[in-house]
Parts: sequence; structure tokens; C-alpha cells
Amino acid sequence: MGGKVTCTLGEVKNRADLIIYWGGNPADCHPLHFSRYTLNAKGKHVPQGRKGRTMVLVDVRETPSVRFSDIFLQVRPGKDFEVVTTLRALLKNRPVDEARVAETGLTLEQLQNLVDRMKNARFGVLFFGMGLTMTRGKHMNSAAVLTLVAELNAFTKFVSMPMRGHGNVTGADVVMRWTTGFPFGVNLSRGYPRFNPGEFSTIDVLVRGDNDAALILGADPGATMPQPAIDHLARIPTIVLDPKLTHTSRLARVHITTATTGISAPGTAYRMDEIPLPLKPILKSPYPTDEEVIRRIYEKVKVKPAWSPAAYAKVPCA
Amino acid sequence: MLRISGGRVYDPANGIQGEVKDICIADGRIVNDVQGAAVRTIPASGMVVFPGGVDVHTHVAGAALNFARGMTPENHRAAAKFIHSPLLRAGTGGITPTTFATGYLYAGMGYTTVNEAAVPILSARHTHEELRDTPIVDKSSCVLMANNEILLDLFEEGETERARDVLAWLIWAAKGYGVKAVNPGGVAAWKWGKDAKVLSDPVHGYGKVTPAIIIAQLAAIVDHLRLPHPLHIHCNNLGVPGNVSTTLETMRVLEGHRAHMAHLQFHAYGGDDWTTLRSEAAAVAEYFNAHPNLTADAGAILFGNSVTITADGPWQHLLYQLTGRKWGNLDVENETGCGIVPYVYKGSNVVNAVQWAVGLELLLLIDDPWRIFLTTDHPNGACFWRYPEVIHLLMDASFRRECLRKLPSRALKRIVLPDVDREYTLSEIATITSAGPARALGMPRKGHLGPGADADVTIYNESPDRGLMFRHPRYVLKGGEVVVEEGDIRKVVDGRELIVRPAYDENIEEYLRPLFEQYYTVAFENYPVEQERLEGADIRELG
Repeated sequence: MGGKVTCTLGEVKNRADLIIYWGGNPADCHPLHFSRYTLNAKGKHVPQGRKGRTMVLVDVRETPSVRFSDIFLQVRPGKDFEVVTTLRALLKNRPVDEARVAETGLTLEQLQNLVDRMKNARFGVLFFGMGLTMTRGKHMNSAAVLTLVAELNAFTKFVSMPMRGHGNVTGADVVMRWTTGFPFGVNLSRGYPRFNPGEFSTIDVLVRGDNDAALILGADPGATMPQPAIDHLARIPTIVLDPKLTHTSRLARVHITTATTGISAPGTAYRMDEIPLPLKPILKSPYPTDEEVIRRIYEKVKVKPAWSPAAYAKVPCA
Repeated sequence: MLRISGGRVYDPANGIQGEVKDICIADGRIVNDVQGAAVRTIPASGMVVFPGGVDVHTHVAGAALNFARGMTPENHRAAAKFIHSPLLRAGTGGITPTTFATGYLYAGMGYTTVNEAAVPILSARHTHEELRDTPIVDKSSCVLMANNEILLDLFEEGETERARDVLAWLIWAAKGYGVKAVNPGGVAAWKWGKDAKVLSDPVHGYGKVTPAIIIAQLAAIVDHLRLPHPLHIHCNNLGVPGNVSTTLETMRVLEGHRAHMAHLQFHAYGGDDWTTLRSEAAAVAEYFNAHPNLTADAGAILFGNSVTITADGPWQHLLYQLTGRKWGNLDVENETGCGIVPYVYKGSNVVNAVQWAVGLELLLLIDDPWRIFLTTDHPNGACFWRYPEVIHLLMDASFRRECLRKLPSRALKRIVLPDVDREYTLSEIATITSAGPARALGMPRKGHLGPGADADVTIYNESPDRGLMFRHPRYVLKGGEVVVEEGDIRKVVDGRELIVRPAYDENIEEYLRPLFEQYYTVAFENYPVEQERLEGADIRELG
């Protein structure tokens, strides 16, 4: 178990006849997804566009996305893992307990119907959002849908993709991987990258109070993180680089206003399918770019004597 | 200015086989002589001097490799650590090293040029970002074309001339160097969950186009455009028992054209299924020896951990079903796909034992070291930093026999390696690791030590333990700078990117633009990699 069976968004546009959104509300949160890539796009092998595609929405509540869907499956909150596991069992013709299926808020008939649609799709895709990955079961839910989709490939072509957002979070993930080998939750304090989500991920470091300074770029943890993490950010020297004043700016010691990337600063953004897009500024900004600010901070830091962990670090060798 | 004095020089491209002579360097190039007080001398008596290594086929950068990095944190945890210092960037080594570590590891082994063998155009911008972060070594890249649907549609309609312009435009859009064909037609079919197993059958979804047509057309276009590197081909049916017939047929289709057969080891199997799999290296070598239009790299495997990464999506689905382990798949719209499956080659496994032997057999049975090159299809067969182990096996027949004794007896009946006594000479090793691949890549300034060549030089302490000797060069010079000395990185220089700009009819953009708007999800203007992104690139214009 593990891995990910995926594709770029153009594959979905050109081929997908079954589109499943699970635990997300694309109509509000990814407003161009339907028109550019999925439902309404006319693709090479789906020339009729919307008429050539079936959309299934799985969520715990009715959202504005429901009216775009052909089938809406309302799962009882916290029961996603059970639903996915039941689908995997049905896929392999294994017996399932109807009473326990009922606990998920869906009927066996509904799930069997979904499995049949999945198996008979020409090209199926499952997009999953934070309603799946950040609720009860968390990463186990992600692993379950990724496995379901991998297993579906014994029957037909099927892919999955997380519905990532928040600006260029995918880009940060991609660059971290090629520089450190890990996507997030990396600790470089020993001079080499160590990865341990739950220990080195931002919230955990902040809540434990392990760090004595914070540099924050392109994020507003002051608005989204748990209170103990926010309290720690207020306690230590926190520096924020952002085009706007954020909740985090208000509790930071220093806020540096920077040019908005993509509007007045150039760069590269990675789409949710990890395709890099060049950002071309259309306006001039009186503010420096993030890159320039970091470069200038780095020039100052470089004047200090080099801190070289190589001199005394003890490394576990393989 | 620099003088490497008194070393035994192996420079096969210039016919020098172990002569004691000085190598002189000025302004990053090899020159006839240097004089004066400013000349630093590297005393190399008792040492062996090679041109810097050239890797003709490796996977070190880009979306697929980065996908693999993310999929295998457990490997990085176990891997060698690179600690940051005023000179070096932090990173991890292991099976899929981080970009900075990749540069340090290649240079540390005496390699100074690498060819990234599989670049989708749509994510080429990403590949170049990683290559820029890969220090010391010079880099070129091969662009994936054999499943590009715009090209396939043109082949279907018989529009050869337009296909030629499209292909030339695509190479420049990707800022690539060569053309790669992976499982021609098979990856396009995989978009519907199918494969292309027979070269003469139409590709799924097409009426006329067959894998054989794709291969022949691409090889003809590459020759017509006079690209420095011939068509770089990964045959259909990789890794499958009995695939030798497909491989031989592919080579027949390529008659009359130049071609480079990638990781030939994975394409030289007989038998009908996994229980009857056997080596057909002898048959492949026999045909290959008689056809000088072809070059190949070994794609040898070594026992141990690996991660298989290939654009061959259908094969990776099969491997996932065989191993039941992790499976990554990434289909790229209109162009290609990629699959990732971690894999462990075990000496006790009969299939793996045969694979191990086939790689060495090809290297030993193909007579001309100018046409077969050392690779492990990193990280598929083994990591690139294990090349010295392969060199040891090639140079030492008794060591090889010792290793053969550890293989299961059932495997021994399916290979010919026990009957091969050939031992590589130092000159032949210099050929398969540097001079040969540089010539096949069409890089006139690489792989030799004649005047005008880039001063990429590797100096070894001679040792009867060939593994040790090649693992730890005494000095490595890149562009005339001493970058490695006694196993330590002493200086980090930037590697250059090598790029080719073939000639094409500018009007081809008017043909491509509407197709893009229909089939792609990025704007036509955002598709080509901007030249400004590639600082200091070495661009070769083709007339």
C-alpha cells in the first residue's frame, strides 16, 4: 500500500467520463476547476463536454457543489474511511455487513452502484479534499482512497488527485523534495535534513515551543493554527513577509510588505498536478519581492561567522 | 594554468593507452603546453589519468524522480547524509539523491557530464530548475517524443514534414538535447489502460500508426535534423520474458539510421514466463556486433534496493501487481506518462540473478567498447554511485566467478556468463565510461584529453582493487578546477546545461497554437521553457 496513481489535469480534461469529488466543495473553493479541467471542458476524447461526463460528489453536507453533480452521496461525518474500505471490498467481491454499511449513512445499493460506475468508466478520476484528509482518520483516509484508485486499475483506467490550494503550496512541496528529499516537516538543525511529521511539522514545533524565532512567507498561521501555536508566535521574534497585513502580521515583531507574486513580481507557481507555470508581472510595485528581501537578509546573516554543523555533528551513517 | 605531470594517461579517443605524459590545462580547456611560474603542477606519477566520466543515461532530475523522492522517505532516512558547510549544501544521498547531493556524488566518482534521459516537455521547466540545482556536472537532457499525441496524429496522417518541424520546435521548447522514445505507442495506449506489445499492430486509438512506424519516423527525423545524439530508444516490452524478439525487431526497424538502445539489459530476455526466463544476451550481442549504426548502454542491475522510475506506465502497473508494493503513476497530458515502483533485486531470486548476469554479458559479449556504455539506468537497476562495482566485475573474471558461485544453481543454466573469460582493460573502461558515451552524445569537447577539450579530468590512484580505485579518485577536475581531492569536495563549480536548437519553420507555431488550446491546459505562450531561465547554457544551433 502506498504511492499515488495520478495524472496532469489535461488528462482529465481529454479523457475523464467519471469524475468524483470527495470531501471538498470545488464550486466555492476551486471555482475554475469545473470549467478548465473537469466537468464543462471539451476534451479530445470527450468532445461533448458536460454531457459526456458523470460527476459524483461525496461529502458530509450539502454545499453549492451539489447542484453541479449527477449523484450526491451524503456520508455521515467521520465515516469516510469505512465507506472507502467498503468500496474496496465490493471491488474484490468480498462480503460486507449491510448493517455496518448503514452506519455510514449510505446504503449497500448506493455503494454497489458507485463501484459499478467506477469499474465501467472509461477513464475515472477521484479528487479528494480536506473534508477527507483532515477529518477522523486523516492520513489513513488518504491512504485508503489512494489504494482504492490503484486497485481500480486492474479493471479500468483510474487516477486520483488531492485538491490542493493555498497559493503555491505545491511548489513549496516540490522544491523541498528536490533539496531535502522530503516534502514538509523537515528539520535541518543538525545540518542535514530529517523528516518526521508530527514532530517537525510546523504546528508541533510551535506548540512545543521548540523554535526561538519564526520567518513566515506566504502563509497566515495566525488565522488558522491552534491557539497554543499562535501564542508561541506572539512570544518569539516573528517576521512576516506578505503583500498584505495578515492576522500573523499583527502579532509579529516585524512585517515586511512585499510585492505580490504573479501581479507585480515574477516567479514560478506549481499547479496542483505539479505542472510549473511561469508568473509574469503585469504591474510594477514599490515593494521589494520576497526573493529580494530574503536575499538581503541572507547577505547580512552571511557576514556572521559560519555556523558549520559539519565540524561537530555526529551522523548516523548508513 | 595547470599541469598534471607524470600520470599514465588513458585517452582512447586520441589513441593514448597508458602512456606516461603530461596533461596541460589553461582557461578550462586542455592545451598542448603551459609555461611560467603561475602553473600549478599536480604530481601524478604512479596514478592513472582518465577523461572525466560521461553518463549517457541516468535519471537525476524532474517530475518523475521528484515524485519518487516523495514516495520513499524511508530510503532517505537510511541514506548517507550530506551536512551543510560553508562550501556544501545539505541533502540526502541514497537511491534518489537530492539535487545537490547528486552533483557531489557524481563528481566524487569522477563523472563530470550526465544526460538526464527522460524529460516531458510540459514539465521541462521543473527539470531545468532541478538541473540548475545540480552542481559541478554538465547536463544534457532527452525529450520524450514517442507517445506525443500531436506527433502520433501527424504520423497517422502521413505528414512527415510537418512532424519534423513540430519535433524540432518541441526540442527547443523543452530546451532539450536529444530525442527519447519510451515504449513507442505503449504509453499513449496506457492512457486507456492498454499497452503496445507488438511492433506491427496499430497503437490503441489509432488506425495506421504502429510502434514500428513511430520508431522509424523518429529515427529518420533525428537523422534529418542532424541532432548530435541519435534517437535514444527504450524498446517496447521492457522487462518481459521473451522480449528479445521485440528488441531484435526494433533494431531491424532502425536499420539505415543511427540509434542508441537504452538499458539493453532489460530487453534481452528469452523464455515464455517468469519461471522460464533466460538470458538472450548472446543473440542480442550477435546482432548488435554486426550493426555499427547502433550504440547501447548496459542498464546493468546490482543486488540491493532500488526504485524503478520509467515513462513506461503499463510496465510499472505490472511490476506493482507483481510486488504488491507502492505504486506511483503520473500520466502527462498528450505527451507521456511515468511510473514508480520501489524494488529490491535479490541474489537468491532466479529472475534477478539472470538479470544481473545479462547486464554483464552484454558488456562482455559486445566487442566494441565504443558502442556499449556503462550505466545502471539509475536508479532502476542500481544507483549510479555503484558503477565502480560493475567496473570491478568487468575487470576481474575471478571476482566474477566468485560472485557467480553465490547465485542459485537454477539461474546458472539460464545464463552464459560462466563461459565468458573476457576482462576489461583500463583503456576499455575509459572508453565505456567516458570516450564512448561522449561520442554517442555528440559532445566533441567531452570524453577526451586532446587540445580543445573541456578540462574534465579524473585521476585515480592505481590499485589492484578496481572497486576501491574507481570509487575514490585522487583528484577530479571540472573545467580545469580541482573539485575533488582525496575524497573531499574542494570547490563547487556550476555545471552548464547543453542544449540544441534545431532549425524549424517558424510558421509551425500557427499550426500548434489551436491544437494547444484544444488539448492542453496551459497557455501556448507558457509552454516553452524561457531561455532566460537557463543561465550560462551552452546552446548549439543546428543549421
